[in-house]
Parts: sequence; structure tokens; C-alpha cells
Amino acid sequence: MPPTPLYLALLFPFLPSDRCSRSAAPPKPPFALVERSGTSQRLAAGCPKAQALGLVPGLPLADARAREPRLAVVPHDPAADGAMLRALARLCDDATPTIAIERPDALLLEIGGSVHLFGGAHALAHRLRTRLEAHGMHVQEGQGQTADAALAFARYPAADGVIARLPVAALRLGEDAERGLRRAGLATVHDVASQPRAAIAARFGMGAILALDRLDGSAPRPLSPRRARTPLRFEERLAEPILTADGARTIMAQLIDRACTRLARRGQGGCRFEVSLFRTDGETHGLVVESGRATRDPAAIARLFAERIETLADPLDPGFGYDRIVLSIGRTDALAVRQPELEADGETETDGLSDVIDRLSIRFGPARLLRLLAADSHVPERAERRVEARSAEQIGGARSAEQIGGARSAEQIGGARSAEQIGGARSAERSGTAALPWPQACHGDPPARPILLFDPPEPIEVLAEVPDGPPFRFRWRRTQHRVARAEGPERIAPEWWRLKSGALHGGRTRDYWRVEDMEGRRFWLFRHGLYDEPQNGETQVGSVRMPGWFLHGLFA
Amino acid sequence: MSGAQVPRFAELVATSAFSFLEGASHPSDMVATALARGLDGLGLADHNSVAGVVRAHVALRQARDQVGEDIPFRFLPGARLVFADGTPSIVAYAETRTGWGRLTRLLTTGNRRTDKGKCHLALEDLLAMHEELLLIALPSETLFPESPASEAPPSENTTALAMLRDAAPGRLWLAATMHRGGADRRRLAIRAALAGQLGLPLLATNDCLYATPEDRPLQDVLRCIRLKTSVLAAGRRLAANAERHIRPAAEMARLFRDQPLALCASLDILERAAFRLDELRYEYPDEPVPDGWTAQGWLDHISWEAARQRYPDGVPERLKGKLDEELGLIGRMRYANYFLTVHDIVAFAQARGILCQGRGSAANSAVCFLLGITSVDPMRHDLLFSRFISEERAEPPDIDVDFEHERREEVMQYIYARYGRERAGIAATHIHYRPRSAVREAGKALGLSDDMTARIAGTVWGSHSRVLEDDRVTDAGMALENPEVARLKGVVDRLLGLPRHLSQHVGGYILTKGRLDEIVPIHNAAMPDRTFIEWDKDDIEALGLMKVDILALGMLSCIAKAFALLRDNGLGDYGLDSIPWEDSGVYDMLCRGDSIGVFQVESRAQINMLPRLRPREFYDLAIQVAIVRPGPIEGEMVHPYLRRRQGKERVDFPSPSPPHDPDELKTLLGKTCGVPLFQEQAMKLAIVAAAFTPGEANHLRRSMATFRHVGGMHNFETKLVEGMVARGYTRDFATRCYRQIEGFGSYGFPESHAIAFARLVYVSSWLKCRHPAVFACAILNSQPMGFYAPAQLVRDAQDHGVAVHPADVSTSRWDNSLEPHGANAGLALRIGFRQISGFRRDWAEAIVVARAAGAFSSFEDVARRAGLPPRALRLLADADAFGSLALPRRIAHWEARRTPPGELPLFAAAQAAELAAEPPAQLPPMQAAQEAVADYQALRLSLKAHPLHFLRQTLRHDGILSAADVSATPNGRRVRMAGVVLVRQRPGKGNAVFITLEDETGITNILLWARDFERQRRQVMAARLMVAEGVVQKSPEGIVHLMARRVEDRSFLLDSLSEEGACAAELARWDEVTRAQMNRHPGRPLPGQHPRDVRIIPQSRDFH
Repeated sequence: MPPTPLYLALLFPFLPSDRCSRSAAPPKPPFALVERSGTSQRLAAGCPKAQALGLVPGLPLADARAREPRLAVVPHDPAADGAMLRALARLCDDATPTIAIERPDALLLEIGGSVHLFGGAHALAHRLRTRLEAHGMHVQEGQGQTADAALAFARYPAADGVIARLPVAALRLGEDAERGLRRAGLATVHDVASQPRAAIAARFGMGAILALDRLDGSAPRPLSPRRARTPLRFEERLAEPILTADGARTIMAQLIDRACTRLARRGQGGCRFEVSLFRTDGETHGLVVESGRATRDPAAIARLFAERIETLADPLDPGFGYDRIVLSIGRTDALAVRQPELEADGETETDGLSDVIDRLSIRFGPARLLRLLAADSHVPERAERRVEARSAEQIGGARSAEQIGGARSAEQIGGARSAEQIGGARSAERSGTAALPWPQACHGDPPARPILLFDPPEPIEVLAEVPDGPPFRFRWRRTQHRVARAEGPERIAPEWWRLKSGALHGGRTRDYWRVEDMEGRRFWLFRHGLYDEPQNGETQVGSVRMPGWFLHGLFA
Repeated sequence: MSGAQVPRFAELVATSAFSFLEGASHPSDMVATALARGLDGLGLADHNSVAGVVRAHVALRQARDQVGEDIPFRFLPGARLVFADGTPSIVAYAETRTGWGRLTRLLTTGNRRTDKGKCHLALEDLLAMHEELLLIALPSETLFPESPASEAPPSENTTALAMLRDAAPGRLWLAATMHRGGADRRRLAIRAALAGQLGLPLLATNDCLYATPEDRPLQDVLRCIRLKTSVLAAGRRLAANAERHIRPAAEMARLFRDQPLALCASLDILERAAFRLDELRYEYPDEPVPDGWTAQGWLDHISWEAARQRYPDGVPERLKGKLDEELGLIGRMRYANYFLTVHDIVAFAQARGILCQGRGSAANSAVCFLLGITSVDPMRHDLLFSRFISEERAEPPDIDVDFEHERREEVMQYIYARYGRERAGIAATHIHYRPRSAVREAGKALGLSDDMTARIAGTVWGSHSRVLEDDRVTDAGMALENPEVARLKGVVDRLLGLPRHLSQHVGGYILTKGRLDEIVPIHNAAMPDRTFIEWDKDDIEALGLMKVDILALGMLSCIAKAFALLRDNGLGDYGLDSIPWEDSGVYDMLCRGDSIGVFQVESRAQINMLPRLRPREFYDLAIQVAIVRPGPIEGEMVHPYLRRRQGKERVDFPSPSPPHDPDELKTLLGKTCGVPLFQEQAMKLAIVAAAFTPGEANHLRRSMATFRHVGGMHNFETKLVEGMVARGYTRDFATRCYRQIEGFGSYGFPESHAIAFARLVYVSSWLKCRHPAVFACAILNSQPMGFYAPAQLVRDAQDHGVAVHPADVSTSRWDNSLEPHGANAGLALRIGFRQISGFRRDWAEAIVVARAAGAFSSFEDVARRAGLPPRALRLLADADAFGSLALPRRIAHWEARRTPPGELPLFAAAQAAELAAEPPAQLPPMQAAQEAVADYQALRLSLKAHPLHFLRQTLRHDGILSAADVSATPNGRRVRMAGVVLVRQRPGKGNAVFITLEDETGITNILLWARDFERQRRQVMAARLMVAEGVVQKSPEGIVHLMARRVEDRSFLLDSLSEEGACAAELARWDEVTRAQMNRHPGRPLPGQHPRDVRIIPQSRDFH
């Protein structure tokens, strides 16, 4: 006979604010999470202190500020709350396999089958509660014979576990029906239940009856438990320990093959592969490789591991032999099934490039293999930015927060999120410059930018027409160049919004010239500063302030 | 450049801030810069708009005035035509007056085609209307040049240019710019080749977006605001450099040395575009003049006719003299048509029975009085006609007429119908950046977090500052040294005062004899059936155009409704002129400060002033209206006046030294006990005591009234003080007079205006005093208006012995109504369905129609016969409107719930009848407190009891007094009082917060000093039920204030009364400072929130 069902509801009344408080730089209480509704901003949630001050959800931010001018605010982020809830669910994994996520702020655990393992329902609840509170969560719990009752008791602790005493809101019939019941003077579930059912149904629909029945269990309530993510873990236990590195590689290759078959079936590719080699004497070796884009090409993965093994300080030492080898795939991404024959040429080339990038990154470390991306700025040195070659690969690939978050522990989710929120201005900049194409020159125009930029630009001595005429002659690296042709100036003003002083003016304007010397060499020069700019004056000759000249680049 | 000839140049492609979110400088600054740079001229061409040209025109005129000679500089008003069909932008200037008319008609065509703020033009429009226009093509110049690199003109542009060239031979130029984009010279050569190929002259221009290079950051910010991005992310969508300013001719010559003729072209255009804005001769419509009459002759005729009618026994000599003087002046100034036009509009309103009354300076005119434009008799009040029109000023008269607010639209549509949309338009209002909007938008453009900008914006109180004060920033907890904050402040300071968009004036009409759209472009307004012009009232005035203000006044609606109610109930037939004047009972009532609902004098400050001023005659009311204004208060005139009026201080008039008339001030200030209270008195003081000419005095007034001319005030100070001293007044007295005049600012009332308003004060007071039921009914039916919510108005009526009956399906109508009450034919007020929040007029009408066929018998009967939807039934039930059917609120609601939502009314009604066989519901009875609270939720008022009535026990237990107790408490006693918050205000400089609390016995005014407020900010702002603790202060006149030190928020007590438990969300508020907009629709709930759900008591009116 199956055990009687017993439900435990864990309610997180301050889920959004607890999430923020756990971040690396938590906002100072009182703080609130705000969301935009129409043209105004309203509080979506608050920290306990804000709540205690009467700054309740729904309050316009302006009103809240009028009462508490120092109220700190953080943008409301339901997605992050959802991720948080899932992470919290994982923390309860050991209590029962049946955990349902009750958005937006509760977990529902069916514990009837497992309660005996923990010494009773109360002990189990206490255990979970302690664990969750240790993670900085406010928790309210409720237990009941039905899922709805458990949730209602968690939400309305004043009912003291008696269904009849629950307020009508516990029926969750929606605002309108709830108001109607209250208007009729029916405040508790008992009040409603003692009315004729037909009268209730005529006014509030069958839904109200069903809600009543579900509370006491006379109607079933289907749970939709969180589907546990089956980990991609492939294991080979060896009766006979393997004594050579090559043998281990063979096993690894088999594991990789199995993994790739599974990945293909799931329409996924792996980004992070981890091999653990267990030695008979208890030693464990771990090998991790990461790929710039999701892959399930066994050869490529094997090659990455080969590279990794080669770069090991101590070569793989089987010692007395490996008796267990485990391959787990830490991060996956969607990867469509393809027909290799039909997409032969175009794809293989880029695949080849990403292979090279992966291999070089593994060999030299990802921070040492860079790639340039276009950035949106008039200032030449800011018109590009360097990124890790491997991450550049990923920029195009859509990777939902969910997938990244799924692999991380709960702690990391809170941290990563709020770090982003804090750097609000910065992230705006980032989003504006992502995935920008390089500027295209017009047909027939000479290149506007040189192929090589000096960093920093090299100072040169120039003879030029004052105030903003072309240079005639310049000396660079002790060589005199006579200018045969010059085009310009291309005037680039400083980015006033970056001035450290906060002033709206200042900094030096640059006048760029594309010049060709008598030998046909082409240079990119600029004069740093205008003659009438107050802040200029690299060098001073007599009473005349002289802006300096620099050579910034070479054309091909 | 050859030879030593000084280069000459005129900048003809300049964009000002009136190209919203693109140009970054005021037109006047652009003119000033062009003058300073020594250019020959400037052409202002905003995007599809001429909104800024008058500003530039005026700036040049002022510059000429300052130099005192004719500067050889020309300003060309024009527009930059930006096409929707990909045609390159064309800048157009008028050769002649006709050309200007073409341009404005062209723009009107584009504007009227689309929504407010947009203009949709195609090349065909220009081809159809280009006569006498000079055109400058800006090919390849997209609106937002991405980078200087892409410039090869697409072939269709060449085609468009060729078409234009053929259509307008010799009137098309091709513009070229040198913005230091790197390849300028190469591009100039290409452009020159294109010009040669098309046979067009090349024109040098800098296509300016701002006056000086220093304006570039502002332009970047504006562009970011438009593109909804930030400077950090905008990248190359911003300009690379600050080159698009007004350049001196020498620099242009150097840049265009390859094409020197391109500079000369600018001078050609300057010469050929001969049109000046001064040429806009303008004539008033002549419709109101019958055939065979001249306008002046007709005006003379009807004025004298009216005078003879008014005085059948002979027109008094004084009036004769005044009429002769006024009509003569009107004739010389050629204003007859203007007066006739206004007369025509007023006559229309009167014929339709729409109450109206002139306000402002028009009340100074006997002609206006006789023509019915104003009801203030200038003979009786000896008003200054030169305040209205003077020859010296040559400034058109400004007649403002108030109409019933609910019927003003009829008058407006009459004007459109009579003159046509091409001849009538409302003036524009140029909406400028205010501190709050500037901080918000600039903050976003600078990439600051919403939070940070919201914090700074939240500390801005006023809306008219010219700079963001440092205090505001530090108040928000930000350091000025922080570069981001400093930058924000820098940008905001520049952004303030820049135009942001055009809006329509509240009711200022421009009417013309010819086509208005050949003077100025006309736009569609956001409101349907309204059109407005691009120029605002200053522009109109600068060009000498005349406008009539058609304003809306809620009190006129109320008075009209009251008169109608009096007629319908056989209580007499009255008009504004025919009510009994100088009724002492009315003054008795006002002296008690019993003025809730009365026009103008119902505010807290006015109510407090009434017992001190003790008005006993009509003129006192004019003083009462004028004295409680920021002007007299800040000029410290209130207390001297009161002391003198109460006889506590001698009324003395300083005399000048001989030979001047020693009594000159007595004549001037005699009526106001020697204290200047009205604008005219300040003017007259300047004229009489400091020998200002009337023109100068008027200039002084205008300087006082506008912030823009603040710089000029100092000259007036010297002139006034020295003038008075020279005349023999003491310097001390002269300085004090100046301070008083200065205090007026824009807040002083002219005497005529105060008198016009005082009439409405009297009329409304008389109605309230003599017919309180009628008055209450009329004012409730005219809501929203005035200072008080329906709950206070109803309660005030009850306090004055009016019986008030609840809303009921069997008797109520949409409007509140009167019904016989008691044996002695008294009238009782019946609450109408309009008081039920959310109820609809058509439902109410359906009920009335259904009822006509026989009284309702049951709930189902109402539902079926009136065909009401479930929502209407629920609202009626919640409002307890089934009393006559013996259905208490709760049972009625239970019934109403039974009709399931979302069903068609017909089916619902049919079903209701079938469903009738249900046993009676066993619902718990409703308690009295719950009933009262439910009343408030449904109707915003309760006839049963005040919520505090039910809390009195609890409060008394805590030693908390009622409002009545507080009034009876001796001065200086420390007490605690509790009440529902009606109003929170923080007037003037904000050093005190005034709170009005109400309980079942009345109201108490609380004063809380700012430092105490800051300490308890949250309690003050959040409380709906507040307990205030402090010392009772009683003035000799019996005005009671509670000087609070401590307040407590006891809103939870209110929540405990409701069956619905604690309120989920805070009430939405009206706001004195931040949300002036909300006041227009006070009854409207915020989106997503039904007011009944969250509100137990009516919203209070607050600041933040």
C-alpha cells in the first residue's frame, strides 16, 4: 500500500530581495525591486525592512521615495527569481524526487514516501528550512494532506493548519472573485464552504468549488514536478585496471563516442568536457577541456583532450592502473543535426578555424589568444576591442541565461545577476557595441583607416601649415619624410563624456591626415590639439602654444 | 582667396532647437553668434517648421535696439523641408510675402496630413507650391549622417534635383559643406562637378546645428534622447567633431578656397530673399460687420445703442466721455474688427445660454462692458483703460473670456465653423525642458542608471528653475565632485529652457481675414477637431497679431447649473447681473470663513484670511481675491494692509516735496489703505511717483511678469527709486515700493481681473448662502472643479441644513438632483449615479427610461428592464442603491454576482429571471462601520457616518481629541488630534507643510515645520489616518491651527474597519507639485488599479 501523501510547501516571501541580498554587492536596506508599469515605476517587491516601513509591492516608486528618500532600488527580474527558485529546488533534491516549482515564490514537495528517512515530517521540514536559511532565504513552511492545503498553510500561518480558518484568498480564485466573497461577508474558507454549493457555483463558477475540494483533498490536484536534469555522465568501470596512458585514451575515446551519440540524440553539443581518472590507489586525475562552440564531433573532442594531456606539467601517470574513468559534460548547447555531406565546403572551413582556436586556446591558455571586434567609436583606438578568441566565437550563439545558470550553483546566480545590475552604465555600453560590423568604405574611396595602428602613437616632428593645413615634412624614427600628397583633416573631437573632471569640454581634438611621402609610403598622422583649444599645448615655443604631432598608423 | 578683400558670407542653413532633439541652440543665440562672427546674415531653417523664426527676428530687433542703429545684417526666416519620399532635404526662403504664404501653406499641407508633431511632405507638394521661393538642395544629406564617408549621390536624387531645377529655374542652389570629415576637398570637387552637370550654382554652408562649438555636448545629448540611447552606446551615430557651428566668413573662405563662388552665392540668396517677417500685415476678420457699415462705424453704433439701452434716461456724462475716449482710441489703432469679433463670439455664447465673462484687462473697458464681453462696470470701479490699450505701446489688446468649462467646446467649434480652419487656429505653447524632465532625459542620455536620475529628479520641487541647483543634487545624496553628477548638472543646466515640443495653448485663438495658413503653418492638435499654429503668444505679440483667449472656468458651469435649478424649481430667474447684490447675509457668511465651494476663496489660506479681512462690500472681495497671492505675500503687503484695515495702524500716504501734489499717493492707493495690492497700482505708482511714461510702466509690468527679462529689472530699480527720491520721497519708502513691485512677479492680479473674479466670488457665495441645496447640487454636477472633493461638499451642505438622500435606483438620475423635502417646500439633494465611481452615463439613462414605465419591483426587474450589464449592477449594489427595494448592500451584491460576468446583457437579464428560484442567502449582516467604509469605496462619500465615528471610542481611549474638541481648546494647550488626511501642501519656499485632517466633527489645520517634517517624512507621506500632536494656536479672529511636532500613521485603524482587510496598495494621489497633470482627471483611476479596491477614504491632494 502506498504511503499516504503528505505535502510540504516552502514559501519564500522575500525571494527577490533575498536574492539581491546574496549578491556580491548587496543593496543597502531598505531597498526595493521596481518594475515599469506604463509610464511609471512601481515596487515589485521589497526587502523585509522596506516592507516593515510600509513600502509594499504595487506602490509607485515616486510615492515610496517621497516617504523614504534613501530607498535603494534594483530592477525587478522575474527570470532571475525563477532561476533562483530552481536552484533552491535543487538544494532540496535529497528530500524527495517529487518537487514542484510553484511560481513565483514557492516549492512544493511530496514527502509522503521519504518522510520516514528523515525522522518525521517536522524533522525533514526543519532540516530543509535550516539549509535554506543558511543560504540567506526567508522561509515559511506549511504541511498538509493536499498540495493546496500545504501551500495555503505556508502562505497563511495564522490559520494554524486548520483549513476552515484559511482566508478566502487561500482559494486563489483571482482578485475579482475574492473581492466578491469578501463583499458578501464571507471571510474564511469555512464561510464559503457553509454556503450552498449551487449558490457559490452560480456566482464564482465551478472553479470555486474545485478549489474548495482541492483544499481538503476531495478533488485531485495534479502536480507537475520539476523534471530532474539527467546528467550527461558516462562511466567505465574496469575489472582489470588499465596501466598505460594509451589504454586510458582508448577508454576515453569510447566514452566520448558514447557521449556524442547521446548528444546527437538530444540535439545538443557539449562545451565543457571533464574526464576523471580514478586510480586503484585512490588518486584521481581530472582533465577539463572547453570548446568555443558546442560540439559533438568525437575526433575534435579527442583531439582537445590530447592537447590537454600534452600540456600537462606531469604526464598522465597511471601508476597501479585506472579502474574507473568518468566523462561528464558540464555545459551543453543546442546543436542541430546536420548532414555533413551536403554542407561540405562553407562549413568545414569555419569549423576548421574554430578547431584551431580551440586547440590554440587550450595550448596557450584562453587569455592569450585574442581576436579584434569592431566597436562603435570615432576614436580610432576605441573603434576596436580585443576579446578572447574563443568567447568571440560564442558571441553570435544564443545562449539563454537558463542554460548558463543551470550549471552554476545557486550562489553564483545571485552574484552574477546583481554584478550586472550594479554596473548599469557599463552594461549599456557593452550591449551597444556588441556584434557591430566593421565600417565599410565606399566604393572607390581609399581606405580611411590604416592597417597598422601604433599603440601608443609615436611622437613626430612636423612642419605644417598653421592652423590646420597639411603637413609638409615630418621626422619619424630619425628619418625625414617629405610629404608628397596629403588629405585631411579628419577632425575627431575628444569624447567629452569620458572626461574625469565631469566637465563638458576639455581634452584635445585630433586632426588626422593621410599622407604619402616622396617614396610612396603612406602614413596616418595627427595633430593633437587645435591652436585655439584652451587645453592644448604639448610643447611651448616662445609664447605660441604648439600642439604636438603623432604618427598613428601605417597604410599598406 | 585672391587679393586683400575681406571675405563676406551669410550662413543660410542653420537648424535651431526648434528642430526638436536635433538643433541645440536657441534661435536668438544663433542670431547673436552670427552677429558676433560678423556674418552678413543668417537663415534659420528648422525641420518642416518655422516655429523659431520669430524668436530670431525678435533677437535681431533687440540687438538693433541696443546698438541703436541699423546693423547691415539680415535674418532670413525659412524652413528646411524634410521629405518623406526620399527627396533630398530642401531649405526654402521666401522672395516675397507671397512666397512666405506658399511656404507656410506647404507646411500646413504636410502637417494636416498626419498626426500632431509630424509633417508628411513629398516632392510633388513642393513642385505644386514653389512660386517665389528660393530653394537650397542638400543632396545626400540624410537627416542623420552616419559617417562622412558615404556621399556619392544616388541617381534618383539627381533626378529630383533636375525636376526641381526645371520647375524653379534660377531659384535652386546646391549646398556644399566642409565638416572636416577627412575627404572634404575631394567631396567638394565631386559636388562642384555635380553642380556643373546640373547647371546649378554651388552654395557654401556649414549646415549648422548649434551656435558655437561649445554646444556640441548638448547636441550629442539631444541626439541620444531622440535615438533613445546613451552617449556611451551611440558611437558613430553622434558627430565626430564639433564643426557644425556658425563659422566666421574668413574661415569659410579658407575652407572653400577651391570654390570661392560658393560663398558669393550666399550673398546672392540673402539679397534675393527679400521677405521680412515685419511684412506680415494682418487683418482681423470682418464677418461681424453688416453690409454698408464700416467696422468702426458699426462698433460705434452698437456701443452707443447698448449705452442707451442701459441708461434709458440718458447716458451719464462720464460714460459718454469714456466711450468717446475709448472708441476714438480704438479707431486710431484700427482695433474695431477685433472688438467686433470678440463681441460676435460672446454673442454666440449668450444666444446659446452659455455663461461667459471677460477677465483680465478687458474689464477695464467700457466698450467691453457695454458689448457684454465683461460684466465688470468700469464706471463703477474707475479702472485704468491704458492697462488695456495704449497708443504708446502699440500692442494689441488681449481679451480673455471665460466660458462654462463643460460647454467651451461648443464655442470653439463655432469659431472653427465660422472662420474655417484655414483662418482660425489656436496659438501654440512652446513646451520647454523643466528641471525634472531635463534630469530624467539627460540622465538617460548620459547612461546613468534610472535610479540615480530618479533620485535627483525626485528632489526637484519647482518646475521653473533655470539651473539645477546644487542643493537638489546634494539632497539626493550625490556628490557634486562625482564626474557623472557634474556632467549631468552641466548638461541639465544647458538643457533647461530649450524647447522640447509644441503644444496647444489653453484657448488662445488667432483669427484672420485672409488665410491664416499663409501667415504661419497650422498643425493638427492631439485632441480631435483642434488645430493650432506654430507660434506661441510671445511670437504672436511680437508680430502684432491679435488673439482672443477662449478659456474654460468650472465655476461658470456651476453657476449656470445653479441658475437652471433655481428656474426649474420656481426659485427665480437669475443671471450674472440680476442676482441681489450687496446682500449682507452673504458677507456675514464669508466673514465666518464659511466658504467651502465658493469660487477662489475656498482654499485654506483664503478661508483663514476671510475672518481677518472681514469683507463687507463688493470691493473687499476684489481685495480678498488679490491679496492671497504669492505676489502680495512675498512683497509683505498682507500684514500692513490688514493692520491698517483693522485700524491698528495709521493709514498714511508719504508726500512728495513741493511742487508736486502732496496727495498724489492718496488718490492712487486710497482704496487699498496705502498698500499697493494690484498690478495697476504698481504701474501707476511708477507713473505718478517716479515719472515713468505709461509705456515704461507697462514694460516694467512685463519685466516683472516674465523670467526672461530678469536682466532688465535692475535698470528699473534705479529708475524707480531715483525717480521717487528726486520727487521728494524718502529713499527708504522708495526702496520698499520697489520691493513690493518686485514681489508681484507674475503673481499679482490686475485690479480689473480681481474685480471680474470677485463677481464670481459674490455670485457663488450668494448661491451658497441663500440656496445651499441648489448650490451643492450644481457644484457636484460640475465636478471635477474647485478645491474640495464631493465628500466635503456634501458634508458642508448637510452642515448647512440640506437634507441629502442616498443614490437609489428608484429615484436617482445621472446628475445629482433636487427633490421636495419636508412640509415647507424645502429641497433635498438626491445623490445621482454620477457619484458612483466607474458608473456610466448611458446606464443611468437606461435606468431612468425604464423607470418611466413603472416603478421597479425587484433586483431582477431592474436588471432586465434597464438592460444593465453585470458590472453596472455590481456598482449599484456596492453603492447601496437598492434601498428602496429593501435590498441591503450585501444581499444586492450577492444578487448582482449571480449574473456571471462576460455575458451579453440581454442573456444575462433573461437568465436572471430564470434563476430566480434560489433560497434566500444566509449572509452575515454588515456592520455600520463596514457600511460607511463601503459607501466611501463606492461613492467616495457616506451619508451614514464618517469612518472616524467608529474609531472614536478607541481614539478617546488614547486621549485623542476630535476636530471640534481642538477648536474648543484654549490657545497654547498641547493636544493630540486624529483625522483622515485631506490635503498635504508645501507652499512657497517649503519651510512648512500644511496638512488638513478631517473627522466626523469637522476639520483641523495642521502646520508642521520642515525640519519636523523631514524627521517624520514617511509618516506624513504615507498616513491616511494621521494622529498629530502639538500646540493649539488660536488667532484673535478665532482661526485655529495645530502646530504639530509629532505625527503618527494610524492608517491601520482605517483598514480594520473594512471587511476587505488591509489595503493591498497605497492610494494613488493628486499631487501639488509633481503631478499637476493628474489634477485634470482626478476621478480617473490609475491603470491596473480600481480605485475602490484600494481606497477607503477619498484621495488626499498632496505634494511630494
